[in-house]
Amino acid sequence: MSVTGRFVALVALGVVPIIAFGRTPGTAGTVLGLWLLLVLGAGTLDLTLAGSPRSLSLTRSLPARVRLGETVTSDLYLTNTGSRRLRAIVRDGWQPSAGAGNNRTPVLIPPGERRLVSLRLAPSRRGERRVNQVTVRSNGPLGLWARQATLECPGRLRVLPPFNARKHLPSRITRLKELDGRTSLLVRGQGTEFDSLREYVRGDDVRSIDWRATARRDDVMVRTWRPERDRRVVILIDSGRTSAARIDDEPRLDTAFEASLLLAALASRAGDHVDFIAYDRRVRGRVQGAQGAELLSRMVDAMAVIDSELIEMDWSAVPGQVRAVTSQRALVVLVTSIDAAGASTALLSMLPQLTRRHTVVVASVTDPTTLLASWQRGNREEIYRAAAAERAMLDVARVSAAIRLQGADVVTASPADLPPALADRYIALKAAGLL
Amino acid sequence: MMTRVPGTTTGPAPAQATDATTPQAALDAVSATPTLRVAFRRSGFWVAAGVGALLVAIIASAVAGGRASAGPPLAADNAAQSGAMALVEVLRDRGVTVTLADTLKEATAAAAGSADPTLFYFDAEGYLTRDQVTTMAGLASRTVVADPDFDTLQALAPGVGFGGLAASGSPGAGCDIPAAVQADSLSPGGKTLTIAVGAAGLTGCFPTGQNAFAMVARGDADRTVTLVADTAVFSNDTVTRGGNAALALNLLGAGGDLVWYLPTFADVARTGPPSLGELTPGWVTPTLVLLVLVALAAAVWRGRRFGPLVAENLPVTVRASETMEGRARLYARGNARLRALDALRVGSLQRLAEKAGLSRLAGLDEVVLAVAAATGRPPGAVRSTLVDAVPANDRDLVALSDQIQDLERATARATTSPPPGRMDP
Repeated sequence: MSVTGRFVALVALGVVPIIAFGRTPGTAGTVLGLWLLLVLGAGTLDLTLAGSPRSLSLTRSLPARVRLGETVTSDLYLTNTGSRRLRAIVRDGWQPSAGAGNNRTPVLIPPGERRLVSLRLAPSRRGERRVNQVTVRSNGPLGLWARQATLECPGRLRVLPPFNARKHLPSRITRLKELDGRTSLLVRGQGTEFDSLREYVRGDDVRSIDWRATARRDDVMVRTWRPERDRRVVILIDSGRTSAARIDDEPRLDTAFEASLLLAALASRAGDHVDFIAYDRRVRGRVQGAQGAELLSRMVDAMAVIDSELIEMDWSAVPGQVRAVTSQRALVVLVTSIDAAGASTALLSMLPQLTRRHTVVVASVTDPTTLLASWQRGNREEIYRAAAAERAMLDVARVSAAIRLQGADVVTASPADLPPALADRYIALKAAGLL
Repeated sequence: MMTRVPGTTTGPAPAQATDATTPQAALDAVSATPTLRVAFRRSGFWVAAGVGALLVAIIASAVAGGRASAGPPLAADNAAQSGAMALVEVLRDRGVTVTLADTLKEATAAAAGSADPTLFYFDAEGYLTRDQVTTMAGLASRTVVADPDFDTLQALAPGVGFGGLAASGSPGAGCDIPAAVQADSLSPGGKTLTIAVGAAGLTGCFPTGQNAFAMVARGDADRTVTLVADTAVFSNDTVTRGGNAALALNLLGAGGDLVWYLPTFADVARTGPPSLGELTPGWVTPTLVLLVLVALAAAVWRGRRFGPLVAENLPVTVRASETMEGRARLYARGNARLRALDALRVGSLQRLAEKAGLSRLAGLDEVVLAVAAATGRPPGAVRSTLVDAVPANDRDLVALSDQIQDLERATARATTSPPPGRMDP
């Protein structure tokens, strides 16, 4: 039950008769009592005449998924199964970060009819956004008192990672295509395979002329090569406590998702098999054996519900995880954070096990404010801050050097630059035939 | 944000109408808010328990209050030990008309309405002035005063004084006043009065010691004033002791009418300007009550929550630069100038070596010489800036930091290498 502003105003209006007729305290008290009886009677009458909010039947219609940053319409159909006209205000109880706002929708439903309440949702956070209840406040015909009930009407909306890095995809695919059909001098190596024969044009390396084919045809033919296909790429994302840190108002984990999505899209286009694991002390998400568009959709679906866990990453279990995915030689991309030497000991001690069998790339987000701080040296505080920034960068450099010493590759970049940087490193490895 | 699409939908269910969506249908909306009946069933026990406890409390207080309610002493309707209800009820049984009076005005009216009134007067708080006491004494032909105070004695019988408490023993009548003779004796103890030597017209009864009496009567031609020193003669708990009841009934029941006058605060003469309560119009208090009710209704209006709160687990927010800031504050608090400068120098040396085209493993002297050669500055000065100078105070630190930055810029200009962009060591 609730009262409206109109009821409050009506009660306040009682001042007029009290002042007009209440000469003595006795009569004024009587007038007050009569007025209260009047308003309470009117309120009770209004309440009994109000349509029951419990007589509503609700149907929800809602898309299953939405990419973060896009809006989606949530439709709620209200059918009045009662016998009275329902003047109500409806609130759909979405979680705050579903972006439904402070929604209050007035509806007027005659008996037996149905109305639609549409709500624009602009989710502000990835993950699964839920709604469990719809609250209906039914006003009486006089608009004094209202009946209120909360009705169960569950719904859920999976908000996928935005994959903003997909803007880098066309340029990288173009570069990938340029790798195809190069002659041997530039790209020939372990990781390349025979592609086709074509006619010699000036500028081709004479060493790539296929004499046997030339003998069969009148023209001079050269062999062309293309990067090897069907390599394996294993992307392992560290979802431990360090991935919760925010850089440029984006958690490390989200940057890692962006980078791995771009890499997966690219590698999938290049014909490689991509596997994805999010791990801290147990597997938080895993995508295996998917190709093409299905790979990306399964990856974003798995990523949507992964959040940083406030526990330390267990690096010693990582070789086992990789072994469970593939026994072949693979490109293993570890997306984690490289901070201080002490914090990276576990990673460093585990790396030789991986580098013995696989090509390993360690990708990490760095903080652009650190670089900025190292250049601002206006006063005493800023100099100390710059010194701390330099110290942090030196720590990263030391750990990076140690990782390189273990035979792995390191990619570090700011949140905006990490996805293309990782893609570029992949293309470079591909061109060099190191997969 | 919100759109409302009015109109009746009579087509197929929206579940089939929209293909790309996953409808989560609710055929019958289940209410999470309990109905009145369910709510009562759920909380019925507690409501009943609360009501029961309230009833017990009310009954208990009523029972206890009836026994121990402390009304005014010697009030005619006070059934407590200090009251005088027993005496008044007996008098009424005997056909005496007892009229209760709270003010002198009421007492005057009651006395005027009777042919032969008896007035009982007891003023525990001393409300009446001496003049009012004199007026009171003139109202009836028989006036009985219980436990008179100093002003009363001065007004009615100036020759009577206070005699202290009686020692013990049950005093005999000791005078020829009929009521006292019939009573024969009073309950022992209690206050006494004395009669001054030479005071005329005063009769002392129930002597308890040297010139001390439990009752003093002053008889004029047509008016009798009887002063009873102690309230024990009239009060409920002691009226039955000794001859108390006989004395009280004979004194008060002599005539057919009794005016039972206990002065109250209303007898006190008012002085000064009228009070605020008298000046305010009658509607002010009800209006204030109404405004309180309006505030209450407004609180319900604004405070009633539109459905339950929706819970959501939010991720923790950890700023990545916190460790850097913390370390900077530690440097600053500890004045670690050399340590801070070393960090700056090592970073600069690595960048300078890179700019000068030296390998990552180049020695210190090589870098110094290469930078000196590139910028055209003396190697000694470059070495001092990059290695040797020790900052003695904060000014030195700032100056050295500026020099290092200046050196880096100069080298960058000289080697025209692009400025550091990505942090890719």
